[in-house]
Amino acid sequence: MTIRSFPLTLAGMFLATGAFAQVELTQQDSQWFTDGESRIDELAAIQPNTGKAKNVILFIADGNGVGTNYATRLWVGQQEGGMGEDYVLPQEAFPNLALVKTYTTNGQTPDSAPTASAMNTGVKSRNGTINVDDAGAYDSCDAAANAGLTTFSEIVSDMGKSVGVVTTARVTHATPAAVYAKTANRDWEDNTGLPENCAQKDIAAQLVDAVDAGTVDFVMGGGRRHFLPNGITDDEGAEGRRTDDRNLIEEIEGKGWQYVWNSDTASQIDNSKPVLGLFEASHMQYEEDRDGEPTLAEMTEMAINNLSDNDDGFYLQVEAGRVDHANHAGNLHRAVTDGAAFADAIEQAVSMVDPEETLIIVTADHEHAIAFNGYCGRGTPITGLCYQVDDNGTQHTGEPNVGLDGKPYTAAGYLNGVGSVMREVVPEEAEATHENVDGQAETSAEAEAADAPAQPEYTGSRPDLTQEEATDVDYLQQALIPMTSETHSGEDVALMANGPWSHLFRGVMEQNMIFHVMNYAVNAE
Amino acid sequence: MLTLSRRRLLLSLAASPLAAAPTVARAGDGPILLRDLYEKDRSFSALATGLEGRRISVEGFMAPPLRAESSFFVLTRRPMAVCPFCNDAADWPADIVAIYTKRQVRVIAFNIPIAVDGRLELGTYKDPDLGFVSRVRLVDAVYDRI
Repeated sequence: MTIRSFPLTLAGMFLATGAFAQVELTQQDSQWFTDGESRIDELAAIQPNTGKAKNVILFIADGNGVGTNYATRLWVGQQEGGMGEDYVLPQEAFPNLALVKTYTTNGQTPDSAPTASAMNTGVKSRNGTINVDDAGAYDSCDAAANAGLTTFSEIVSDMGKSVGVVTTARVTHATPAAVYAKTANRDWEDNTGLPENCAQKDIAAQLVDAVDAGTVDFVMGGGRRHFLPNGITDDEGAEGRRTDDRNLIEEIEGKGWQYVWNSDTASQIDNSKPVLGLFEASHMQYEEDRDGEPTLAEMTEMAINNLSDNDDGFYLQVEAGRVDHANHAGNLHRAVTDGAAFADAIEQAVSMVDPEETLIIVTADHEHAIAFNGYCGRGTPITGLCYQVDDNGTQHTGEPNVGLDGKPYTAAGYLNGVGSVMREVVPEEAEATHENVDGQAETSAEAEAADAPAQPEYTGSRPDLTQEEATDVDYLQQALIPMTSETHSGEDVALMANGPWSHLFRGVMEQNMIFHVMNYAVNAE
Repeated sequence: MLTLSRRRLLLSLAASPLAAAPTVARAGDGPILLRDLYEKDRSFSALATGLEGRRISVEGFMAPPLRAESSFFVLTRRPMAVCPFCNDAADWPADIVAIYTKRQVRVIAFNIPIAVDGRLELGTYKDPDLGFVSRVRLVDAVYDRI
């Protein structure tokens, strides 16, 4: 203890023993102050739940790190008529929080395969691989066969629990696949990507094996094309991709499962049977564009209703898979509208389960290269222009802040991606410009050098921007580095949890610890 | 004018009479956005069916073209850098417009907004050369940056 901190500690003890009454607090009538005191009472009343977890629900919004979650919070709050900053998403009301380190064994920046793998097996592994030990090389057919890891679904189904997978991405995509498959390459979603005579099966075929093994009982998402043979069209006219003549949908139906493919058929589910729901040939639609497909909340409700039939409990992984895709596209509008759908799904689950026996975990697998500008006033629409702070009022002034270039900028942006303000100078332009340089023959060394293949030249300046353009559903927030797809980032993600042993989530944790808390909670005595 | 590229010159020459022509239909006060042609269930909008056969101007982005020398490209609603022609894992969005141009396509980067003027065709059509199936097309089209 330092000398400096000693008197402070004494002062703290004095305060703790009732000094409040002796010091006049000029702020005591402020609503901020009284709200804070009420919240302290609520927090002090929270007791750790040390019971056994009958059920575990792991909610993952893909690519929904602290920054993206923040954007969704403001979006939902603003859609509900508030300024947004003070809004509380359902997961943010959970009592336990940790920051999660998402790096992998070889990536400072992870992809969704080893991150979902860490959550489902308890160990970190290599980018691009799912449920394969780090010793098993990426893209190696023997890796999954020799270095496959035991999954949480295998552990809990052995305990008699049911297992469900729900996603808005293809069910063979990295995050959902981590519940039931082991693969040395996340792209082996059907047999067409597999090398010849590969020792492992493709991801869709492994779902059939998981059905046989009884390690999965409920599956909903997109991805019909990976289950159907080429030459066969699906319920909406899209062609299957498999070249091994296997119709995996029929195979799974033949094992006593029911198959549904749109909102109507999904509404007629018989909960005495396991369910395969495939609502798109590829990923399901963004919430913004959704038509004829269930919401993530509806799929979560169907899953819980179906899996709750088992008295031994269930493990359900729910993924909002397209928050990630919207960020990759640089389109914050679809990231936050899918983020809002994720929040609705969490609220749905909370309303259906007993928190005394159900561990609910809400997290992301990784963050994106999203960043936020300042200084924006309260209530600045999160997808739009950054409005100035009103020095004498509460809400923003309605006047956009501008850069040194005199142009407005949005509250959110991306460090890289499709929305880059840099544009490629197309070869025709460069060539034509060159030809027009006075006095140069077309055969000159300069002209030949100009004709040689070279790195494309990028240049640019920020376009002017109105609020109508910036808040358009299709607007891409400005980015710096030109890329075909905006990237993930290695920044921490948040984890919020409620239920048995959720208090073990605290501080800054490794991502693979998520498995260990789940495993501890279902085995607690 | 010394630095004006050949491409720009051609395009501006091609576009200028159209820009002045009152026969190019636009939705209400603004240009037609690609999304205005479709309903959410991917059926054609009333606007699209009402304009079938007429020359219209549609805004969007040029997807990376299939071939270097061609009179065909795909107009997308949002910039699309990964070309489904060349990357099997990528998918075309449901709401695209196939563009058949008057002249050979001069590539404009995928993230630069463009306006395409052309005659609107609706209905499923499989291109005999490319095998590309489209539902909405602008034919005899010219285009330029917005």
